[in-house]
Amino acid sequence: MKRLTGLLAATATLLSMTALASAAETANIWVRADGSNFMPQIVEAFNKSHENQIKLDIIPNAELVQKYATSAAGGTAPDGLSLDLIYTPAFAAAGQLEDITDWAKSLPYFKDLSPAHVKTGTYKDKIYGLPFSADSSVLIWNKDLFKKAGLDPEKGPSNFAEIAANAEKVAALGGDVKGFYFSGACGGCNIFTFTPLIWASGGDILSEDGSKATLDTPQMRDAIALYRGMVEKGLVPEGAKTDSGANFFAAFAGGNIGIAPSGAFAIGALNTQYKDIDYGVTFLPGKDGGSSSFAGGDNFVVTKGTPKLAVLKEFLDYAYSLEGQTLLASRGSLPVRGDIAKEALKDLDPRYQIAAEAMAKGRTPYSVVFNDIINSANGPWAQMINEVFFGDDVDGSIANAQETMQGIIDAGTGQ
Amino acid sequence: MSSITAKAGVVTPAAPARRRSKIDRGHWVGLLYIAPAIVLVTVFFVIPLGMTAWMSLHNWPLMGQHRFIGLDNYVAITKDVRFWNALKFTLYYTVIVTIAIFAVAFPLALFVEKPRPMNGVYRTAFFMPVVVGFASASLLWAWLLNVDSGLFSPAAQQLGLTEKKFNLLATFNPAFWSIIVMVVWKVAGFTMVILMTGLQSIPTELQEAAKIDGANAWQRFRAITLPLMRRTVALALILSVAGSILAFDQFYILLRGGPRNSTITAVYWIFNQSFVSFKLGYGAALSMVLLVILVVLSLIQLRLLRNPEGT
Repeated sequence: MKRLTGLLAATATLLSMTALASAAETANIWVRADGSNFMPQIVEAFNKSHENQIKLDIIPNAELVQKYATSAAGGTAPDGLSLDLIYTPAFAAAGQLEDITDWAKSLPYFKDLSPAHVKTGTYKDKIYGLPFSADSSVLIWNKDLFKKAGLDPEKGPSNFAEIAANAEKVAALGGDVKGFYFSGACGGCNIFTFTPLIWASGGDILSEDGSKATLDTPQMRDAIALYRGMVEKGLVPEGAKTDSGANFFAAFAGGNIGIAPSGAFAIGALNTQYKDIDYGVTFLPGKDGGSSSFAGGDNFVVTKGTPKLAVLKEFLDYAYSLEGQTLLASRGSLPVRGDIAKEALKDLDPRYQIAAEAMAKGRTPYSVVFNDIINSANGPWAQMINEVFFGDDVDGSIANAQETMQGIIDAGTGQ
Repeated sequence: MSSITAKAGVVTPAAPARRRSKIDRGHWVGLLYIAPAIVLVTVFFVIPLGMTAWMSLHNWPLMGQHRFIGLDNYVAITKDVRFWNALKFTLYYTVIVTIAIFAVAFPLALFVEKPRPMNGVYRTAFFMPVVVGFASASLLWAWLLNVDSGLFSPAAQQLGLTEKKFNLLATFNPAFWSIIVMVVWKVAGFTMVILMTGLQSIPTELQEAAKIDGANAWQRFRAITLPLMRRTVALALILSVAGSILAFDQFYILLRGGPRNSTITAVYWIFNQSFVSFKLGYGAALSMVLLVILVVLSLIQLRLLRNPEGT
């Protein structure tokens, strides 16, 4: 509630500010609610120092795509949009976005921009999206609980065996304390935190171009075995079975969870809202070590045919400046410019460095049907993860998900 | 509407006969009276229905261009295993929940129909959940059923009924029956009121005569109450069946179609296709299919429960 009122207040101030500056050009942009921690701030900073203005609307996460699609059909779409990067291919495929290849390639630091963003921002060799905000998945652990359980509080787990062993020790503390947490009914959460375990072990769930689902791999089975083992030993709270993402962050923030895969956003949220929790950040490991991460965040895309392209360019130039990158980083969004990332983060919590490093090594699956196969609460991925973590028939579940996923991919690309 | 009246005006020949013009005037007045209803039905039902039918013949993505594809969507439906599974589940749910609602509502109706002290309190209490929206009721129950911070699961643990917290929503049967209990709590009061009005319309002389003839309570219920309530039961049944086949909110809010996609109803699937996969045309085609199924089911029920005399 507090966040909501803060958000409303921020939007209100922005509105009043933009209303005053009517002489210069004003471009409308949207951002999903996940960006409400940094977007109003950077827009405000931009508006203060520039003649041209940006007017920002914050849209609830789940409504963004529908709202954009309906307003595009009605001719009232915003000029630009900070869009969850995984949706960029789908939007580009639908012909809604302006081709910004020339602009992108003219940026002197183009080659230093987050590769995951640029990859998802590219559709049929043209660039439709440029990186804006970034979030990488990492592993976080509760140092207090580690200490109480007799573990080294400064050393996070670095392979599957250590995760399981540490979780077991923490869970042995008893009471409400559990060793490990994940949102077991949330496809989006697990693509973010579970697939890196597979990637770090050398596997993948989709082929490079997103045309083939590759679920049945030894790496997948190893990662499943890790989670299943912890569930069977009772190291995971009962609520994980039905958590569709509501507790993704809150469970760890409650202070009773030893280890949880999470994201860079958690650093900002824990530091500001849960100051009493002492936690460490490390990479999501593979079975025998190594590391990987899901490189997430938003791409900045431009509505096809907007007359305000120049204003948007100005805004993005500002966001890419050291000042802009530092401001974004201080509000919990990792820098998207590799060449100045270190500098932008130098005065911030050192744990951000790990998240930034994870981001640089991070991967992002590429698919025009990402929502259908992965994020949808009723998609094959969401169904499979719940079945393989808690159900009885791992083989059947994987085979079923593989078939359904491939079917959706084939139908989607044939459209 | 204006086109209809205009047309009527054109069709009417300039007949000089007095009688004829009187009838015509009657027509006009009649049309005028039903005009608001026709306008409402046209704007809010006929036109949207026509648009849905039109959309169902297109590949109509939420974003981008739509194109005409004839009956391709309907052909795709015949192969859409997940839709038929959803429909199967919906029918299963409809049967179970309708039986459950009647099993609770009929005794309640019999109970509140008779004059007794505090009757108003009982009636109000039983009817109360009906005025809560399905979405708000679902949210309330989402809390009640929550494994960590809810009521049932922690209470069961603290009372020693279960060793550890039991997640009611994690497997099919407990989750499904939780929904049934919630829906019965929510709508039984409504069915109760309908059945109560039916009970009240049965003349007391009949019951008294039967009593004098020595019929016991069960015989009177079977031979008098039930047959005379045929139409009331039909109304309650059709409302309950139609409502259950269109079930969505509770499964979406409480279960998100889970556990493991086992509680996806037909409307849920239509919603998913339209607003998660953004295939509006396909969603429209599914809606048309569901509409046909619903109409057929309602006709069957009306036929089965028609009065023997055909009135």
